[in-house]
Amino acid sequence: MPEHSTIARAPGDLQLIQRIVAGDERAVAELYDRYGSVLYAVTYRILGERADAEEVVMETFAQAWREARRFETDRGSVPAWLTMMARSRALDQVRSRDRRERLATSAAREDDSRAPAMGAWGNDPTREAEQNERKQKVVEAMAALSPVQREAIELAYYEGLSQSEIAERLNEPLGTIKTRVRLGMLKLRDALRPYYYESAV
Amino acid sequence: MNEREQTSMQDLAAAYALGALSPEETRAFEAYLAGSPEAQREVAEFREVSALLAEGAPGAAPDPGLRARVLQRIGRDKVVPLADRRAPTFGAPLPVWVALAASVVLAIGLGTMLVKTRRELATRQAAIDSVRVTLAQVETRLSEREKTLNSIMEPGVTLSLLSTTSAPQPRIQLFWNREKNQAIVHAFQLSRADSGLVYQLWFIKDGKPIPSVTFNSEPTGHALVENVTLPEGITHAAVTVEPAGGSLQPTSPVIMIGELKASS
Repeated sequence: MPEHSTIARAPGDLQLIQRIVAGDERAVAELYDRYGSVLYAVTYRILGERADAEEVVMETFAQAWREARRFETDRGSVPAWLTMMARSRALDQVRSRDRRERLATSAAREDDSRAPAMGAWGNDPTREAEQNERKQKVVEAMAALSPVQREAIELAYYEGLSQSEIAERLNEPLGTIKTRVRLGMLKLRDALRPYYYESAV
Repeated sequence: MNEREQTSMQDLAAAYALGALSPEETRAFEAYLAGSPEAQREVAEFREVSALLAEGAPGAAPDPGLRARVLQRIGRDKVVPLADRRAPTFGAPLPVWVALAASVVLAIGLGTMLVKTRRELATRQAAIDSVRVTLAQVETRLSEREKTLNSIMEPGVTLSLLSTTSAPQPRIQLFWNREKNQAIVHAFQLSRADSGLVYQLWFIKDGKPIPSVTFNSEPTGHALVENVTLPEGITHAAVTVEPAGGSLQPTSPVIMIGELKASS
C-alpha cells in the first residue's frame, strides 16, 4: 500500500476528533463545515427526502459527538467513519420503509443535479480546491467503470442491497454480480488511491 | 453457498466494506477478518474507497440552517458521555470511566463558572458604561460653564441687576456684552414657575416692552439663559410670568425690573 504524506494543516481531522473528545463543540462545527455537505448529499441520494436526510445528518454528528472516543485511526479516516455512520443510518431507515413504496417514490424522485458541486467546504481555499478535485476524480472513476459494474456498486451503495439481492433484482447469477462488485471496487481503489482523505490508513 | 465457496474469503473484502454481504457471509467474513491483519488492511482501504463514493452523490446542497441544527442537536446531548458509562463497549477499565465521569462533572462546573463570570463581566461593563455617560455629561456641563464664564470675562461686559422686594429675594444678573450686543441672564433664588407658566424677559425701549426669551428655574432656584440678543436703544429689562411659550405683550405684572447701565 503506498504511503501518502498527510500534509499537516491546522487543525487536521484527527485534531478535531481530539477536541470533540475534550467536549469542544466548535470542533463539531468545523467537522460539519468539512463533511456536512457530502454527508447530506449521500443521505439525500439514499433517502430521497430532504427532511429525512437532514435528520440522518444531525444524528450522525450527534453520534460522532458521543462516540468520538471510540474512533480508531487504524480503521480509516474521519470522513470514512462519518460516511459509514451516515450511510448505515440512512440505509436502516430505507429498509424500515416499505420497499415497494420506496421504489415508487424513487422513480419520481426530485432531480437535484441543479445544486452546485459540493457547496461549502468551510473557508479554507486549499481544502476546498482539494475537495473539488477529489469529487471530480470520484465522478471520473465511477464513469470509467463498465455500466454493469457501476450499476451493481450503486445498488449496494445507495440502496443497501446485498450481492444476492442485486442478483435477484437484475436477474443475473450471484457469481456474476460478485465479480462485478469486486472488479469495480478494485478499479475504483486504483483510481482513487491518490485522493484518499487525510488520515486515511 | 456454492458460489461463496468458490470465491476466496479475501475476495469478499470489497463487498464487505461496501456492506453488500449477506448476514451469513458477513459473519463468516468477520471471523476470518479477526485473524488476518492483511484482510483488515484491505478492508480499511476499501472503506476509504467506499467513503469516497459519497463524493459522487449528486450535489444536493443542505439547507444553510442545517449547521445550526446540528450544533443544537449536539447541545442537547452534552451530558451523554455520562450515560455512555453504562455501556463501555471498548472495555476501558473502571477508573478511566470514573475519571471521565468526574471530568464531565468538572466540565459542567467550569461551564457554570464561566456563565457566572460572563454575567459578572456584563454587569461590570454596564456599570462602567453608566459611569462613562455620567462623565461625559459632567464634561459637557463643565465646558458649557467655562464658555459662560469666558463670555462674562470678556472686555466691555457690564452687569445689571434686576431685583424685587418680595422674599425670598429672587435676583437676576444680566451680563451684557455690548460689542456682541448679547447677554447672559442668570437668575437665582427664583422659585419655579407654576405648571403651564414660564418666566419671560422683556426689554423696555421708549417705555414700551419688547418680548425676549422665556425660561424657568432649576429646582436649585437657578436659571441660566445664554445668547440673549439685545435690541438697540433699550433702557430696562423686566420679567413677568407668562403662559408657556411666552407672550407678545405682558399679561401679568412685572415681578422684577432693572436698569441697564451704559458701559463705563
